Amino acid sequence: MSRPGNIPTFNREFFESSENFTTIGEGNIGGKAQGLAFIKNLIEVELGHDQSDDFILDIPRLTVIATDVFDMFIERNNLVDLRTSKLQDYQIAHEFLQGQFPVEFVGDLMALISSIHTPLAIRSSSLLEDSLQHPFAGVYNTKMIPNNQPDTTTRFHKLVEAIKLVWASTYFAEAQAYIRNTTADPAEEKMAVIIQEVVGFRHGDRFYPNISGVARSYNYYRFGDNKPEEGIVNLALGLGKTIVDGGVCWSYCPAAPQTSTPFGTIKDLLQNTQLKFWSVNMGKPPEYDPIKEAEYLREDDLSDSEGDQTLALVASTYDAASDRIQPGIQMKGPRILNFAPVLTYESIPLNNWVKKLIHKSREHIGVDVEMEFAITVDPISRRVRLGFLQIRPMLYTDEKINLPQLDDVSAKHLVVSNNVLGNGRIKNVRHIMYVKKDSFDKSKTLHIAKDIADLNEILRNRIIPYILIGFGRWGSNDRWLGIPVVWSQISGAQAIVECTLPEMNIELSQGSHFFHNLTSFQVPYFSVRHHKNDDFVNWELLDQQTSILETDNMRLIQLDHPVSVLVDGRSGKGIIIYE
Amino acid sequence: MQTKTYNAFEMAQEQFDRIAEMMQLNEGTIQLLRNPMREYHFSIPVRMDDGHYKVFRGFRVQHNDARGPGKGGIRFHPLETIDTVRALAMWMTWKTAVVDIPLGGSKGGVICDPHNLSERELESISRGWVRQISQNVGPLSDIPAPDVMTNPQIMLWMLDEFETLNRGKYPGFITGKPVGMGGSLGRTEATGYGVIFTIREALREMSINIKDTTASVQGFGNVAQFAIQLYNQLGGNVTAVACWNQKDQKAYTYRKTDGIDLKELSGITDRFGGIDKDKAHELGYEVLDGNQWIKENVDILIPAALENQITEDTVKLISKKVKIIAEGANGPTTPAADEIIKAQNIYLIPDLLANSGGVTCSYFEQVQSNLNYYWDKDEVLAKLDTKMTAAYRSISNLAHRKDIKMRDAAFITAVTRVAQACQERGWI
Repeated sequence: MSRPGNIPTFNREFFESSENFTTIGEGNIGGKAQGLAFIKNLIEVELGHDQSDDFILDIPRLTVIATDVFDMFIERNNLVDLRTSKLQDYQIAHEFLQGQFPVEFVGDLMALISSIHTPLAIRSSSLLEDSLQHPFAGVYNTKMIPNNQPDTTTRFHKLVEAIKLVWASTYFAEAQAYIRNTTADPAEEKMAVIIQEVVGFRHGDRFYPNISGVARSYNYYRFGDNKPEEGIVNLALGLGKTIVDGGVCWSYCPAAPQTSTPFGTIKDLLQNTQLKFWSVNMGKPPEYDPIKEAEYLREDDLSDSEGDQTLALVASTYDAASDRIQPGIQMKGPRILNFAPVLTYESIPLNNWVKKLIHKSREHIGVDVEMEFAITVDPISRRVRLGFLQIRPMLYTDEKINLPQLDDVSAKHLVVSNNVLGNGRIKNVRHIMYVKKDSFDKSKTLHIAKDIADLNEILRNRIIPYILIGFGRWGSNDRWLGIPVVWSQISGAQAIVECTLPEMNIELSQGSHFFHNLTSFQVPYFSVRHHKNDDFVNWELLDQQTSILETDNMRLIQLDHPVSVLVDGRSGKGIIIYE
Repeated sequence: MQTKTYNAFEMAQEQFDRIAEMMQLNEGTIQLLRNPMREYHFSIPVRMDDGHYKVFRGFRVQHNDARGPGKGGIRFHPLETIDTVRALAMWMTWKTAVVDIPLGGSKGGVICDPHNLSERELESISRGWVRQISQNVGPLSDIPAPDVMTNPQIMLWMLDEFETLNRGKYPGFITGKPVGMGGSLGRTEATGYGVIFTIREALREMSINIKDTTASVQGFGNVAQFAIQLYNQLGGNVTAVACWNQKDQKAYTYRKTDGIDLKELSGITDRFGGIDKDKAHELGYEVLDGNQWIKENVDILIPAALENQITEDTVKLISKKVKIIAEGANGPTTPAADEIIKAQNIYLIPDLLANSGGVTCSYFEQVQSNLNYYWDKDEVLAKLDTKMTAAYRSISNLAHRKDIKMRDAAFITAVTRVAQACQERGWI
């Protein structure tokens, strides 16, 4: 399906129009926009009756610039060669920003921007996403703009810049690496762009929703007694960037919303609660940097939200005197974002809505789904709005894997874990790239990331698959919590092992784009806890092998014959055997 | 056969009188608006390349500047007459008012044939024109621009002369300058694109998909070429273009029923928009009579050459298939032909509106030049589109509300605005 037939053409009256989903151009609207069109239809046909004066369920008003406009832009500005060029991302972005927007559509953009003064999200909606085989989570840029400048021309420029940046991200290194890992031809990729109202309210210089959420109908990271098919929801205060970037957020199973995540103690909980939140910067313009995705975003401490009066719905308070956590913010004390007012006391029936949306979406699409949403509460009318931002399929293999007895530790066992993401078997890998345990220094994670990227590039060019083993949280934005690689830097890895150390004992991240891409390519992800006796990495066996490439921090070894990677997704256990 | 010699100014006055009567304007307003407020006639002596001296006649007519400084092009044409310049100045007044930009209407010209002039002789005429009129034009009073057979280079010579005489830098004195020398990006495309913006809106009103339409174009100069470009980009198909052949001193129509190739034809076109007849033939184009363009079995006719092309005689040649005539040129349709077009229910987008993209972009250039701060092309064209679309919709709404034709609606809008400005200034 290239585009649903009932989407009207943009009519130059964005907010005044009765249509909340329109298109500019006549090409494909891309996968993300098709997902939104699906949800729009679902809301209108099956969920509309749930709406009331106190509650609105909708997709934020949007218009999609179809892929034919992207084609025109590329062709008329002679940019097609950039896709295979050696230029760096910022140089590609520069070339795109210099290009002239197709004249047929600039008037539409000017008219659109003249009629709105609230923040806009400029989001990618690529053609290959349409295949529903690869979600491309976080591969392309999304740019939010405050759109509150008094001058229409300035707002127009910011909008056009953001669209060109999203287009340029189609040719960025990470996107090209991602596409190479699929069966698609990179030359076939085209980009539609969604211009969408940001769900939220303004609080001083910040604009953000009360709650952002990501819900999945299937949970690869189980905890407690929850079943994988019961799904998982991640919630955060502010923009959803906190969740999709793998930041600290609150996770719960929709089947048991009141069960807390597996933090052993209140101290653990205090240390693992959301402490920062993202918003659109409505204040003093930042340094001009049109290529920076987060140019107009700001990250503030949780304490800054106290004055915004947005914590009441999402926070609890630690009472030191009783060493207990009290739902709400009536008392003073450290805040914990466990969303108890919503999940425990159902001040808004969020979980019911999420369950219903997941159920209906899964029923219609036929595969497990992941969805992003945002919730606002009008500070004056108290009306609640759930804005639906995105839906995409989740992929996993259903093959039933029988593991050997993990308790019978053998010298042939290279890695054993009782907490593995994914499902299936791999039998063709002879190379292992690992971070040296003895010399590991967490202050050097940036250097390690660089070494990994370089080795990955060498192996990818020779089409050599490998297993990656390292310490801390892979893909973390915080270099002190793990090795801050982006997905393209480890794109050749067929299995990934994350180990904890006493000095780097980090909880797994859930819901990040990084992990989503790993699972979409069905890359098994082993978590090995140093303090768990039944989890281990056979470092001795690794160190005995002769390295074929080595740096201060990394070793790359080639085994005599391939290893077997086995993961049982139902039990969450896995093993890598070298026989 | 035409019954009398065509006089553009008489035609412009005739148009105005009819509108004035419809609007029941008072006598003072009529007298003020049916004639230019000022006009200048002067001689430009030039030493020719062969050493002899030749005196060229130059004009500047300022029809009305109640809404702002005068604005209008300078034409170099061997058949130029003061009446043509008067008519064009009056139309400029209406045109700037139709698109609601704060300018008045002027026009200028020199009787000469640039085809037969060397570059040095052209420069001498250009500088001579400025020397004769520099006291009466300028960025705050009357701003010239390119027109028939004048170009950015000529504008730059004129600017240079003006700045020399006035001892300063006045980039806002003239528009249509080369980009990088005070010109605006998008100026070259503006008139042609503007024609298509209005056609696009008209087709939208008529619920016709532009991709299902064909067009025939008279002219292959700047306006026509960019109109064809954007029309093609939107999915339309131009099957015929007509233009003047300097060598044969007659016009030809070049036709390809499956669609002309703009790039191919521009590659064999001289700087005045004349297509090389022999090369066109080699490329597989039918080379037909100059009037054939109007007979074509197409949906849209775009006269984008000179005035007085759709007459009482030629209008009869228009195919029944034609739904829209968009006047890319100034005054291409005579009042008599206009009546026949109305009777045939062909939707006519009048010149005042259809080709106002040029003056709108000239206004943008003037604003940029006065600020000495220049916009990027996306911004220029976006503003052009929104301005033209807004003007189209306002004229079209008036036409629908009053059940009148587009030309009348455009005239009424323009004359109302100008008359009101004159009244508010206390002139009448």
